[in-house]
Amino acid sequence: MSSDNPKSQIRLVNRLWLLLIGLTLFSAFMAEQPAQGLISISILALVLAIKGRIIVDYFMELKGANKLLRTLMQVYFYVIPLMIMAVYLFPEQIASWATLK
Amino acid sequence: MTASVQAPVFAQEKVSKTGDIPGNLAIWAAILAEMSEFAVMFVVYFLAKVHNPAVFAEGPLHLNTLAGTINTLVMLTSSFFMIRAVIAMRAGNPLACTRWLWGAAISGGIYLVVKYFEYRWNTAHGITVETNLFYGVYYYVTFNHFLHVGWGSAAIIWVIYRINAGAYSSTEHEGLINIAVYWHMIDLAWITIFPLLYVIR
Repeated sequence: MSSDNPKSQIRLVNRLWLLLIGLTLFSAFMAEQPAQGLISISILALVLAIKGRIIVDYFMELKGANKLLRTLMQVYFYVIPLMIMAVYLFPEQIASWATLK
Repeated sequence: MTASVQAPVFAQEKVSKTGDIPGNLAIWAAILAEMSEFAVMFVVYFLAKVHNPAVFAEGPLHLNTLAGTINTLVMLTSSFFMIRAVIAMRAGNPLACTRWLWGAAISGGIYLVVKYFEYRWNTAHGITVETNLFYGVYYYVTFNHFLHVGWGSAAIIWVIYRINAGAYSSTEHEGLINIAVYWHMIDLAWITIFPLLYVIR
């Protein structure tokens, strides 16, 4: 990201902002649902991954910037969504790993 | 002779280019440390959740989803204002930059006010730090984040003051980039907290 074409960057971040707002409203709608199953948990994990990626790449402007920094920041938004899934799918297994015997 | 050769190289380094680190390395050390700190809190959340499934399935239902949602929208919008401020500064428009920054700082203020009323709402509904483990984790994580928004907003106002003092230009504004990436980090922490504490049961 550089100052090459500010107009196209402005257009892009405006659209990404609207997308982030839409994804948040969708998550809020999911929060109000009486039941949450595998599908809704997967979607919520995916929404978090997408939101994190957008902010890291386009708001922090790490796309095209230092590779190590970008990777470190992106890994966060793979690991946390995967942990959400793991905790939903295998809670007893993880609890047993994290128990002192 | 030496000076005339070095000057263009120095100027070139100030312009963002591929492979660069936005802002300075020190702010990224702080950001990675803070992200690690929040990661530890998230691990605590996940472990507490697997050991207390009933409490964590029930907990989010009694939180104020509206307050959580409003604050998520406010944080994302403040991050958007921040990138618009950076773009404006790069385009050589410091006045527009400060307007976007005021938007970000005021959003931070709105976040703090909403959080304050959310905590009061909780207390009125019998939710305190000691209600159960879920709310203990909720207060620990959200209050920690609350403090970040507070000093982050103060730092934005400091940068506005610096811009008004003429400290930054379209090519040299590292201080602005530092607070920008730090503020996005605070946003990233919140967008993670929101589904974990308010949405997922």
